[in-house]
Amino acid sequence: MKNLKGENQTIVALSSPLGVGAIGVVRLSGPSAIKIADKLFTSFKGKKPSSFEPRKMELGTFCAKNFNEQILCVVFVAPFSFTGENLVEFQCHGGIKIAEGIVDACINAGAVLAQNGEFSKRAFINGKLNLEKAEGMMNMIEAESEAEIRAGYSLLSGALGKLAISCQKELTDLLSDIEVSFDYPEEDIEYITRNKTKQKIVEIEQKINELIKTSSTGRKIKEGVNLLILGEPNVGKSSLLNALSASDKAIVTNIAGTTRDTIEETILINGVKFNIIDTAGIRKTTDIIEKIGIDKAKDKIKSADLVIVLVDASKKQSKEDEEILKLTDKTNRIVVGNKTDLIKSPVQKADLYISTKDEKSVNNLKQKIYELTLKENITNALIITNLRHLDALTRAQKALKKAIKNIDEDSLDLISIDLKTAYSCLGEITGNTTSEDIIDAIFAKFCLGK
Amino acid sequence: MMDYDSIVIGGGHAGVEASLALARTGNKTLLITLTKESLSFMPCNPSIGGTAKGHLVCEIDALGGQMGISADANCLQIRMLNLSKGPAVYSLRAQIDKNAYHRNMLKVCENQDNLTIIEDEASEILTEDKKVVGVKTKSGLTFSCKSVVVCVGVYLNARTITGTVIKEKGPATFDRATLLTKNLADLGFEIRRFKTGTPPRLDGLTIDYSKFVEQKGDSNIQSFSFLTKKTPKNICVCHLGYTTLKTKQIILDNLDKAPMYNGEINGIGPRYCPSIETKIVRFADHDRHQLFLEPETLETNEIYLQGMSTSMPSDIQKQMVESVPGLEQTKITKWGYAIEYDCINPLNLYPTLESKPVSGLYCAGQINGTSGYEEAGAQGLLAGINANLYNKNKEQLILRRDNSYIGVLVDDLTTKGTNEPYRMMTSRAEFRLLLRQDNADIRLTEIGRNVGLVDDVRYNAFKRKMKSINKLKEEIKQSIKPSKTLDEFLARHNESPAPKGITIVNLIKRSNISIFDIKKELGLLKGYSREVLNQVSISVKYAGYLTREEQLIERNAKLESRLIPDDIDYLKLKGIRMEARMKLAEIKPKTIGQASRISGVNPADINVLILQLKN
Repeated sequence: MKNLKGENQTIVALSSPLGVGAIGVVRLSGPSAIKIADKLFTSFKGKKPSSFEPRKMELGTFCAKNFNEQILCVVFVAPFSFTGENLVEFQCHGGIKIAEGIVDACINAGAVLAQNGEFSKRAFINGKLNLEKAEGMMNMIEAESEAEIRAGYSLLSGALGKLAISCQKELTDLLSDIEVSFDYPEEDIEYITRNKTKQKIVEIEQKINELIKTSSTGRKIKEGVNLLILGEPNVGKSSLLNALSASDKAIVTNIAGTTRDTIEETILINGVKFNIIDTAGIRKTTDIIEKIGIDKAKDKIKSADLVIVLVDASKKQSKEDEEILKLTDKTNRIVVGNKTDLIKSPVQKADLYISTKDEKSVNNLKQKIYELTLKENITNALIITNLRHLDALTRAQKALKKAIKNIDEDSLDLISIDLKTAYSCLGEITGNTTSEDIIDAIFAKFCLGK
Repeated sequence: MMDYDSIVIGGGHAGVEASLALARTGNKTLLITLTKESLSFMPCNPSIGGTAKGHLVCEIDALGGQMGISADANCLQIRMLNLSKGPAVYSLRAQIDKNAYHRNMLKVCENQDNLTIIEDEASEILTEDKKVVGVKTKSGLTFSCKSVVVCVGVYLNARTITGTVIKEKGPATFDRATLLTKNLADLGFEIRRFKTGTPPRLDGLTIDYSKFVEQKGDSNIQSFSFLTKKTPKNICVCHLGYTTLKTKQIILDNLDKAPMYNGEINGIGPRYCPSIETKIVRFADHDRHQLFLEPETLETNEIYLQGMSTSMPSDIQKQMVESVPGLEQTKITKWGYAIEYDCINPLNLYPTLESKPVSGLYCAGQINGTSGYEEAGAQGLLAGINANLYNKNKEQLILRRDNSYIGVLVDDLTTKGTNEPYRMMTSRAEFRLLLRQDNADIRLTEIGRNVGLVDDVRYNAFKRKMKSINKLKEEIKQSIKPSKTLDEFLARHNESPAPKGITIVNLIKRSNISIFDIKKELGLLKGYSREVLNQVSISVKYAGYLTREEQLIERNAKLESRLIPDDIDYLKLKGIRMEARMKLAEIKPKTIGQASRISGVNPADINVLILQLKN
């Protein structure tokens, strides 16, 4: 029987987060991984990767056209590797250039560039990862900032899984109470009342709701927080942008679908990615009063997690300022008075005053931005970064809400359908979807039978 | 020239359905039973149906089986359980005259064309090239045949236990069978030992019924069989009572004499049907346990004491019974006992109930590790259907989890296996709202027709019913114009008014209104039977839920219909974890759907399996 389609290809990719971390790791996986490595790498002892002891790091020279670099190399022989295939890892000093050079050389030697998450996919197919772990790993691969890596770890260690399991357990318990009344209607046991049933469903629904709430934080961490800077011309938007991104400029490729707007710049604050939305679409503020300009501005404001309204603290409020403040009235915004270096005391009211020339005031603004967009403690919060999990939780919640809505009118056999739907949605996260658990719970709890 | 097309070993509830199914589809059939006296005998509770079991009986009936017809005909009392909990879990249960039921079934079998019954013990299933060729009996006879259905129930190496009195006997002191176990093991079956039990029987004339609560039957409910025109009559009543603290103390004081606890019994018993001693040990905080008094037959005064299954010594049983209010003076007519027996691991079977080791060999009933007359009958019917198809070299029938409880039962047995006697429960069915008793005919009559078991009478009646349902579905689309009558009707049922009129569909959807109210009070929807009105009402009232279940089924349909060849060498399949390979190799799933339900096989393994099958 033939192998999996595409699995005979050898794939290569940079597997450490781009631009983050001191060491770049390039992974090469597939049937010809070791053969390709042999063409490119020689250890200082003069050995080729095919004769390396598996899982032992070797220092040597990576040699390709126009490229000669001292790096580390480890060989993993199938099935004892992350992907379950032959796998070679090259570790080089940080810096995108070297890593990219290694990837290029591997491609020239016969490998193909891996698709996003393809290593994990292969590991998954080869039975090396369960669904939850695989997804955690995939988030890790896509991780572009520290916080995202932390979220990835949290999923990997099963924090979400644990909570989902506890919700599912409560549902199992409730379902066994209901099911026993169906299958053993004439026993001398205390059957659960409708009120109690409803109360329990509400409790579980609330728990899931809490879980879902963390997902907006998750989205922000995965895709970045969207910032919009609005202000009249010459108020200092470009200088602010430069000041914000001066020290922590992130090398980021735009992920399709993150925002409808193009991102002008991405900055890191406390390790979290912030996308500054391009304001090019908004026409000069003098035109804002025009309908087309206002609509465009409104759209931008909607897609922003925070709007920074930049005003000139050295001047009185202008007509444009007023217009912008009116537009952003009901959004999460911060009014920042700029150019404090020009005056003794501000002429115009603002939430925070800065001078783009004063690093301390800019850092102050950064912390404020962070606080205003990420209220939750992201290092400890249970964060759902994965859409599939969010989707499963949302469906579970929907089913429970339906049960709550209908329980006063509908018969219990129908309510149980919604509860079982919620149970199996949670099962998509926990991996446990058997009805056997409910039956076991029935017999563990109740004294039944002739 | 073969002596028979098929041979059925054992004449219990599985064996009778299998024999009838085979004979009715034109197979020359031999039924070998130890004695005709035990044919379709009910050695335990004198009732048929109950939760999920009622569903099985309706399904047996829809497929053209016998159990529903005979249960209706010999009913002493009939009830619909779960009436307050919704149509998905409505369950019929009937008290049955067990003597009359046995005689009725014997008569049906004796009068069945193509069916011969002999009294003997099967000693060996003869095979050639892993195919059935015949059966040898204890008396030295040999019969050739194409297929065999083994329905030996709890008779293989059976042993009954009452305290220290241990008998090498089958249930109700019938002779046991001893020869087939070794043969089955030699053929490649895994043999196991299970246990079950039964309570003592009482002399009804010595019971003080005034101490019990009377339980009456229901009138005007559906019957098991779609052919039965009227609800069976309620001839008898049952009674409810309780054990006392004294009963509990007697049992606790004598636990060392309980074979369940002194090591005498090693077989695995069911959790859902524990003995009274087990209940008292496991649920020590319960001071009382429920008991039901059920009539065994109109021919004797014997009463079945439901709730007091026990294998305690007879002197202790006597004390236990006498400790129950109303039973102080009661005479025990038969002692309760535990029974141990040999059975096979159902993972040795395909979902067609054909055995993996030998072609043309089918197993059905308690030999497969189930319990219950209904579970046995359902399997017997399916095994009979498939033995017939095997004889005629036609494609085997697999009933699915989404079309029947029988499908759930057989899929559970042959995919997950069971570690205790398996009882059907509604909780086991994931598409419970679709698998109702009332629509068993809609789900299964066509299948029964295709396999040749649904005769013209049943089929034409079914066609008429479907036509009537479709007509009614059209009729309810019409609107009722606003009127005083309508306003009053709505007000009477605490429903909001419909000033612009309302379609009948939307009227049925109103939660306080039933289709029968509309018929009775508005004088509409005339000329439809109760079953038809009921069917349409359910399809309207539960439309949202039904659609959702149907969509789920559709999503799974691809996987369920995707067949896997029998000859795959799973152990050599790349990309699948070793644990999953071994499980797949053991179970040899027939479809991708079945493979996905095997424990230890994860979605990644299934994805790889699908990919490999494509190549």
